[in-house]
Amino acid sequence: MSDAAGPVLREPAHRVSPRAVWMWTTTAAAEALVLLVALVVATLVWDGLHWWAPALLAVVELGWVLVVPRWRYRVHRWEVTDSAVYTQVGWWARERRIAPMSRVQTVDHVEGAVARVFGLASVTVTTASAAGALSIDGLDKDLARRLVDELTRQADAVPGDAT
Amino acid sequence: MLVVQPVREVVRFLPALLVLALAGRGSGGPGGPGGVGWEAVAVLVAVGVGVARYLTTTYRIGDGRVELRRGLVSRRVVSARLDRVRSIDLTSSVVQRLFGLTTMRIGTGTAAGEDDGDLDLDGLRRPAAEDLRGRLLGAREPAVAPAASYDGEAGADGPSTTAVAAPVAEPETVARFDLRWLRFAPLTGTGLVVAGATFGLVTQVAAQAGLWERLEDGGASSLAGVGGVALLALLVALGVGLLLVVAAISVVGFWVTEGGYRLTREPGTWRVSRGLLTTRETSLDEQRVAGATIAEPLLLRWAGGRSLRAIVTGVDASERGSSALVPPSDATVAPYVAGVVLGGPAPVDVPLRDHGPAARARRRTRALGPAAVLPVAAAVLVVAGGPWWPLVPALLAVPVAWGLAEDRVRGLGHARAGGYVVARSGSLTRGRDMLAEDHVIGWNLRATWFQRRVGLTTLQATTAGGSGAVTVLDVPEGDALTLAHGTAPELLEQFLEHA
Repeated sequence: MSDAAGPVLREPAHRVSPRAVWMWTTTAAAEALVLLVALVVATLVWDGLHWWAPALLAVVELGWVLVVPRWRYRVHRWEVTDSAVYTQVGWWARERRIAPMSRVQTVDHVEGAVARVFGLASVTVTTASAAGALSIDGLDKDLARRLVDELTRQADAVPGDAT
Repeated sequence: MLVVQPVREVVRFLPALLVLALAGRGSGGPGGPGGVGWEAVAVLVAVGVGVARYLTTTYRIGDGRVELRRGLVSRRVVSARLDRVRSIDLTSSVVQRLFGLTTMRIGTGTAAGEDDGDLDLDGLRRPAAEDLRGRLLGAREPAVAPAASYDGEAGADGPSTTAVAAPVAEPETVARFDLRWLRFAPLTGTGLVVAGATFGLVTQVAAQAGLWERLEDGGASSLAGVGGVALLALLVALGVGLLLVVAAISVVGFWVTEGGYRLTREPGTWRVSRGLLTTRETSLDEQRVAGATIAEPLLLRWAGGRSLRAIVTGVDASERGSSALVPPSDATVAPYVAGVVLGGPAPVDVPLRDHGPAARARRRTRALGPAAVLPVAAAVLVVAGGPWWPLVPALLAVPVAWGLAEDRVRGLGHARAGGYVVARSGSLTRGRDMLAEDHVIGWNLRATWFQRRVGLTTLQATTAGGSGAVTVLDVPEGDALTLAHGTAPELLEQFLEHA
């Protein structure tokens, strides 16, 4: 609203792997299914619940499973330059994080169970701050590997204890 | 010297022993002799553990590291580099003071925040501890190389006669305790905690002694004849009495923990001393003080008080005790000390930039929205044939929420001054955070869909101490970028698009 002429923070350059949508859909669907089964069982056991309750939940969940992963994919972006790491994650709440390369402390590479099925991995870059970890989910596995190597090399090149 | 550890261990087990004694008595007469036997065993075990701990613990300083070894069965060595030392606490309980001893806690600031990373050196002789502190804090200067090996068991003739590394300079006192500050005690967290703990203890003791049963037996008959109004008056009187007692307890608690407070500056170090019974001296490395927060929670602010804590690199927000600079005190003290500690009054005095109409509207909707639901819900209940009285508190919630919203609106603001990022927000827990720009180690910008719709964002300047970040709440996106860009131009520039 007030950014009539001032500079604007652009989005990070790269999207994550398109397969991430399927990973998020799988996870969301699994969670939705567990919840739905629980409610169906509750309806069978307890007379106070009507059949429209699980039906309504199913409709809401279907929308959730279809929409949220795609929304997430449109938001998730990352960029690594010579001097900084920049990530953007979230869907309803969008969080952008920028950390200077000189403050990077550790670089984590994690392949979760579901992520491995889709050949994906996540990279987490931590700084000395309790509020400063930058995490990118849904990266292609090989790309993530290369990214970790590069980040580690760059972070090592800067002296000091990064606080 | 050998005495102190076992005594401390017994003190540590005292609550357990008390419970044991009470349980033994409560479980009936026949269990009597067995109960006494258990207590004796418990005391013996406690003393034994203490002696074993004492005999198996050694401290060592040398080769640029400080080392703590302990354990008989499973050996553990904690070691830290001397140049990673962020803070040093000297705590002496009453028992330790009787023997001229002290416990040194060396904060090395591990990011994980487990207490494993901190080194506790127990039962040091006071002069030796002070000498050691001088060495540890002096270790940052390359000219002073700590070479002496320091052994806990040999502490009786510790090397207090060897060259003292710390430069001998007259400490300059920045602030000291004032008895008038006691009036803030009932409004502070410490006061409430002390009051709560004491109250809990008393109720527990009362329960153990069967007080409630006796009250119920005797009380039922005598209360039966009393009318509703009289009962209410009795309850109100009881409530007021309880409040007074809690206030009195918190004043005493505040005096005991904060009495004798003094903030002094020594070369390269800030030192906070406090405590009437258990004394505590915290030394903070000046280089690690990244900023400060003037805390002005609503109640304290109404009473005209403020407090101050430092944002220390490597010292987590959970270790509040190590970073407190000024306890709740008169409104002028905390800002003055903040000015001294931060090297100039600019970040303290600078007028804050307003966050605009959208941020104000957001404060109001977020406070009044939930509060407005209550009367509606209560009204629905009444229509459905429920009782009418929930309407009263539900309607009262609206003006309270409105008041809080307006206070939050007045508190909101940010600035950049004197090399510091300054941000203020909140009402019940309002705080003015001032963080040195060269201690900012990253930027987070978070915006929900609602915030994006009105062009607001929540900016966080992350740092390696305190709660991990200083938060600028609901700031217009352009202002957020101006603030971040001004602080770290090269970093931000590459991600900016100029329209």
